[in-house]
Amino acid sequence: MMIIMHPGATQEQVDHVIEHIEEQHLSAHTIVGVEQTIIGAVGESHGVPTSIFETLPGVLAVQRISQPYKLASRQFHPENSIFPLDGFTIGSEEIPIIAGPCSVESRSQIIEVAQAVKEAGANALRGGVFKPRTSPYAFQGLGEEGLEYMAEARELTGLPIVVEVMAVSQVPLMVKYVDVLQIGARNMQNFNLLRAIGDTRTPVLLKRGMSAMVEDLLMATEYILAGGNERVMLCERGIRTFETATRNTTDINAIPVLQSLTHLPVVLDPSHSTGHADYVTAVAKAAVAAGADGIIVEVHQDPAHAMSDGRQSLTPESFASMVRKLKAVAEAVDRCLVSRVPSPF
Amino acid sequence: MMIIMKSSATPQDVERVIAKVKSVGLAVHLSQGVEATIIGAIGETHSLPTDQFEVMDGVEAVQRITQPYKLASRQFHPENSVFPIDGFSVGGEELALIAGPCAVESRSQIIETAHAVKEAGANALRGGVFKPRTSPYSFQGLGEEGLEYLAEAREQTGLPVVVEIMSQVQVALMVKCVDVLQVGARNMQNFNLLRVIGETQTPVLLKRGLSASIEELLMSAEYILAGGNKQVLLCERGIRTFETATRNTTDINAIPVLKSLTHLPVILDPSHSTGHFDYVAAIARAAVAAGADGLIVEVHPDPAHAMSDGRQSLKPEKFTAMVKQVSQIAEIMDRRLASVQAPVH
Repeated sequence: MMIIMHPGATQEQVDHVIEHIEEQHLSAHTIVGVEQTIIGAVGESHGVPTSIFETLPGVLAVQRISQPYKLASRQFHPENSIFPLDGFTIGSEEIPIIAGPCSVESRSQIIEVAQAVKEAGANALRGGVFKPRTSPYAFQGLGEEGLEYMAEARELTGLPIVVEVMAVSQVPLMVKYVDVLQIGARNMQNFNLLRAIGDTRTPVLLKRGMSAMVEDLLMATEYILAGGNERVMLCERGIRTFETATRNTTDINAIPVLQSLTHLPVVLDPSHSTGHADYVTAVAKAAVAAGADGIIVEVHQDPAHAMSDGRQSLTPESFASMVRKLKAVAEAVDRCLVSRVPSPF
Repeated sequence: MMIIMKSSATPQDVERVIAKVKSVGLAVHLSQGVEATIIGAIGETHSLPTDQFEVMDGVEAVQRITQPYKLASRQFHPENSVFPIDGFSVGGEELALIAGPCAVESRSQIIETAHAVKEAGANALRGGVFKPRTSPYSFQGLGEEGLEYLAEAREQTGLPVVVEIMSQVQVALMVKCVDVLQVGARNMQNFNLLRVIGETQTPVLLKRGLSASIEELLMSAEYILAGGNKQVLLCERGIRTFETATRNTTDINAIPVLKSLTHLPVILDPSHSTGHFDYVAAIARAAVAAGADGLIVEVHPDPAHAMSDGRQSLKPEKFTAMVKQVSQIAEIMDRRLASVQAPVH
């Protein structure tokens, strides 16, 4: 941690800061410049809040040198984290594709989509049953009934299921049904939910918040890892910017940046990050080319009549065509798609 | 153009709007809903300012249906624009691969870099001589002397040169010396400069402004096209967002969005869009996978001692490795890179 003093700071103020550094069991290293004095606080500082120093007289700014997260950091864990999910691994050479509708709408809808995406090459099925909709008047999901349909779709196809959890109260129910707990963008900093999920041993897909920095995403991850749940995959799903031509702005930089900062698998959601079916394939290809470890994409058999996200959902045919293109891109970056076809239970 | 009336609008308000629409030579299509009346103004509306209607009594909002640009639009010109730049065509099967230092620093530096990038597979050389630096105390470029060195580098390697123009007063000099005029992000809305460049017949590389929407970029392209210069390449170079892990945020969505809205070639600058050499190759691959028509990349023989942008510049060896990776992606996109030739002496 570096404590930068005001140009006019007195020696007394500098000494006072040094006292506080030593109180935190850190050692002080003072650099006296022409205009300003900088004090380095050396040691295990990731648990020390910067505000201890920021509030002292004569202090201009405090900068962390080491990352504020530890378990999520690649420094701490240099090898990629690879973990198995029913039939494939994530974080390895193979690139799984998670596909399915935004929401489970009915038994026949989810079973039909599950079979269609499986046939087209998907390795896991997505489908929301508790939906965080912007409007309280919009379709809110089928709840537990939807989970039963998802379980049936899994049984018929063998595809593991990825379902969003919205509240702490849903956790006990969800862990009984689902293979991967998805935390949506709007809940990325729902810290109670993160802690509750950290206490489970179900793999997690954590989506980046709409206005969350890469570091905020890694701090949210740290909450889950700190609880002992080590199977977290991170998901870039577009961030909020001034651009309105697309629903969000795909921060493609986040793929190589996250992979250099963390050992956890990184996937991309081109459906939300573009908001438009026309752009999904191009951005999915870009993600794989940039090194993403997986893709999560919305597919609906009849997007025009979908109860949510129809505009950004692919038809099963366009999804199949996307998968063929991703296979070629994966090979061009010395990766591959998952080759094993799941068998029904 | 759609004029949406307030629910409180009187029949007289509606009548006045209809009369105004007719007075500018447009046809009226009236739809009376339960809560609001909408007046469609049909005809050539792209040059009609919306505020003529927005200020009228009873008007809630005015929405354009057609795009405010015409010459740049794919509607107007469905085929891709392909144009030649000394030795290759931009917008066609061959990808533009423009590489070189941020700034021309010396005769030996630019000539050495030119040979290195050509050998690695570049088909054009970049190098700034008038530099728009954030700080007035930073290196501002070699000016005309730099242009002479670039001309010599072109003579030795056969690579066309891409050079940024900062001001109208430089146009006469620049068109004599350069193959492509680059308009930088900070000048994207320097409308006087755009007009002057529109009157030349030199190809233009127009960079997206740091906070410019895609529509604003296309409107700037329209300025140049309206002057009669049809050889405009658009360049995504990252936008300003809240994220600070990278210098800018690469808006990868902009590639497929621009390709659908305009017939002009679209290239990406992964050096500026990431700001860090570690991420350049991943984003270059992503751009080509997303359908970009080329790349512009900063390469410096000694990034640690570069006078500008060292942190985001690739060493020639790293650039060579990047080109190999990009060529694998290009192949599956049915695109190709320039055939690597021995340098001409």
